[in-house]
Amino acid sequence: MDIFLQQLANGLTIGSMFALVALGYTMVYGVMKLINFAHGDMVAASAFVGLTVYTQVMGQATSLAAVVVIFLLTAAIMACVGIVLERVAYRPLREAPRLSAVVSALGASLVIQNGIMLIWGPRMKIFPELVPQVYWDLGGVVISLIQVLILGLSLVLMVGLYLFVEKTRMGAAVRASSIDQDAARLMGINVNSIIALIFIIGSSLGAIGGLFIGLYYRGITFNMGWQYGLYAFIAAILGGIGNIPGAMLGGMLLGLFNAFIAGYVSSTWADAFTFILLIVILIVRPTGLLGERVAEKV
Amino acid sequence: MARNELILKNVTKRFGGLTAVDDLSFKVEDGQIYGIIGPNGAGKTTVFNCITGIYKSEEGSVNWRGEEIRGMTPYQIVDRGIVRTFQTIRLFGQMSVAENIMSGRHIKSAQKWWHGIVPTPGSLRDEKENWLKVQEQLEFFNLGEFAATPTNSLPYGIQRRVEMARAMAVEPTLLILDEPAAGLNDKETLGLVETIYKIREKGVTVLLIEHDMDMVMEITDYLTVINFGKKIAEGTPAEVQANPAVIEAYLGSEDEDDE
Amino acid sequence: MNNYQRIVFPLFVVVMAVLPTLLNPRWQAVAITFLIFSVVALSQDIVLGKAGMFNMGQALFFGMGAYITAILNYKFGWPILATIPLAILLPALFGIILAGPIVHLRGDYLLVVTIGFNIVFVQVLQNNLGGVTGGPNGIFGLDSLSLFGAKLTSQLAVYYFAFAVLLLTLWVMRNLEKSKAGRALHYLREDQLAAESIGINTRIYKVFAFGLGAGISGLAVTVYATQYAAVSPEAFEFIVSVLFFSIVLVGGSSIPGVMLGVFVMFVVPEIFREFATWRYFVFGFAMILAMILRPRGIWPATFGKIPKYLIKGGSHGA
Repeated sequence: MDIFLQQLANGLTIGSMFALVALGYTMVYGVMKLINFAHGDMVAASAFVGLTVYTQVMGQATSLAAVVVIFLLTAAIMACVGIVLERVAYRPLREAPRLSAVVSALGASLVIQNGIMLIWGPRMKIFPELVPQVYWDLGGVVISLIQVLILGLSLVLMVGLYLFVEKTRMGAAVRASSIDQDAARLMGINVNSIIALIFIIGSSLGAIGGLFIGLYYRGITFNMGWQYGLYAFIAAILGGIGNIPGAMLGGMLLGLFNAFIAGYVSSTWADAFTFILLIVILIVRPTGLLGERVAEKV
Repeated sequence: MARNELILKNVTKRFGGLTAVDDLSFKVEDGQIYGIIGPNGAGKTTVFNCITGIYKSEEGSVNWRGEEIRGMTPYQIVDRGIVRTFQTIRLFGQMSVAENIMSGRHIKSAQKWWHGIVPTPGSLRDEKENWLKVQEQLEFFNLGEFAATPTNSLPYGIQRRVEMARAMAVEPTLLILDEPAAGLNDKETLGLVETIYKIREKGVTVLLIEHDMDMVMEITDYLTVINFGKKIAEGTPAEVQANPAVIEAYLGSEDEDDE
Repeated sequence: MNNYQRIVFPLFVVVMAVLPTLLNPRWQAVAITFLIFSVVALSQDIVLGKAGMFNMGQALFFGMGAYITAILNYKFGWPILATIPLAILLPALFGIILAGPIVHLRGDYLLVVTIGFNIVFVQVLQNNLGGVTGGPNGIFGLDSLSLFGAKLTSQLAVYYFAFAVLLLTLWVMRNLEKSKAGRALHYLREDQLAAESIGINTRIYKVFAFGLGAGISGLAVTVYATQYAAVSPEAFEFIVSVLFFSIVLVGGSSIPGVMLGVFVMFVVPEIFREFATWRYFVFGFAMILAMILRPRGIWPATFGKIPKYLIKGGSHGA
């Protein structure tokens, strides 16, 4: 029972990180029908940017205000990078064959990943201890302040995003663009600015996710983007790609699944089990848990 | 030997709450040119999709030459001699006209999958024979000069002809044409009418959907009129034209767009 | 096309045949790598380029071929050449079994599932399942080539072995182009519904493409295992699949295009070794640029391979 509760807590923590990153994938896919392979590397980059902001800008301060500034500044920087990414690698290919955009996304991923390596070096860096190491022992289950923070902040951000998309005019424009770009354009929606908007939102949520990864795992490497990105992407597919609540649900479920595999089976098999789960779900229900079936018009 | 008859009985196809085809029955006889007409959104293309295996109707029976074909896959149905064209032309756009027509020979070719790795004298002969059949279709449809041209660079009217040539390369017994005159000018439509007559002379039964009423009334032997997925009339062109239900259905919608 | 068949191709064969005698051992090794990876890229082209299926797990199939050769040679003492039939057949069979339930998945979903297969495969290797894969270190100390008892230890022998495999692959690709099966792959890539509606059982041909691609890549890595006398999991990580995926699309799914892609990806970095750390950074930009300037690849596949007697006049000919 202790293992169960402990892994539940761990699973929710990593699940909320997956969910934050998955939102970036799913929003871009929803509107552009493109797997943004560079998103994982953007997440990795934000951990390094956060590190540099901490050492160079904030003078290694760890007060609450300083931490808030680190988060906001990193998110803002990554949002700008996201806009540049879309401009350079994706916008010129909007009318091109699907596969061309996929290759461009892979190219962007290589550029960002190796850019991190060229700037910060190929060796692992240790992320600063921005949050005090506080632990609570709840009858055998140990929960840290970091975990509470990650889970709480992720939930707030996700609820905020959900309300934005469902309740505001701009959110409605985002939804309209993901159903039918051309129709949205005819209705007077500026699809270019919607795409810029989703890159801003996706990249900054990813940036928060990247900082959480740094806080939680401490060790950050230039090529960790593929690993976390892939997991988040699977989360997005599990929930039904293009579906925002689906990405949140998929992230949480995947985090829990991973934690329980690690707790009850073995962490050396976690990847394999995760992918087998994904493959089975895609064979049984190819559109994910919350995705809708789309019939092809003949 | 079974006659080349297509019999639909009580076919119903639903999409969610919408009934696209509602308890439809009709019978196409050997050697007929049979027309299906109806206002926009009447469910005509859906009927074709149910016959050719793209959709499976929830209820009813689709019987071809005494065999139930409802629930078969499209390629199994092609194997039984039923071939179709599409309302929105669906050619293999980057490939040449000759290669497009060659796709119709796929099911007639005796080559096995491993001939794609190691050819044999037999497979090379088969390859040659099928290209000669393609040549016949190129001549029949007067497409010889475009043989090597990628189809996506051809004008619309010629693309329509390529699609029919591709279907005829299968040597079908029943040819299903989904709005073959859509987008054609008057001269091209005349050519199409002639072609359809020539196809019938080859012993092929033709089933078609068409919006061009003059053309339908001229070439079809028998007609079924549907509206909201239901049959509202059937008969020879003259009978149908005099039917008050048909007149009413058409007066309601003058719109010529497709469904 | 005619120029290519009459002049360029024979020239290529002659150049490649005399090339190794002009190279020092280091460049001979690079040339062998080029030959092997060309075959792997061509096998990926069958699945991705010709049939249009988003396969991002090709490293699984050639990794499997390599491990089969390695295990049979190292654990069971089979001569390298004797492992070839199984190194082709088992990956092909595995490709067919894996592809069967997934080929109906649409584009991006297929891509993710094939990534998944690749990752599961590597994890199986690393965890030393069944105790035969040697875990994270892999298997090393394979025999060198031998034919009728004569040891062919020289690098030159490996080179000509690789060259023979490439020529065989090019021959198969040519046969495929001129066959019902090869055309079926093109039809289903262009429009799957139209292909079904003209009588093509698309599922069978999709599985066929996976099987053939897996078999050819299995053959290629027999040579790979011979050259390095070792196999290890990291050579078959899914990032390697990503490279081959990109090579085919950047190259443009034609034989010269694909081989150009392999050249740029694996030979050029050997020329600019001092910039090794910049390699992928530059490639990334090159990939983006190539796709913006030539969305269908640098050297796109040409169609219209039809018998000459069908072409009349030629004013409209491609």
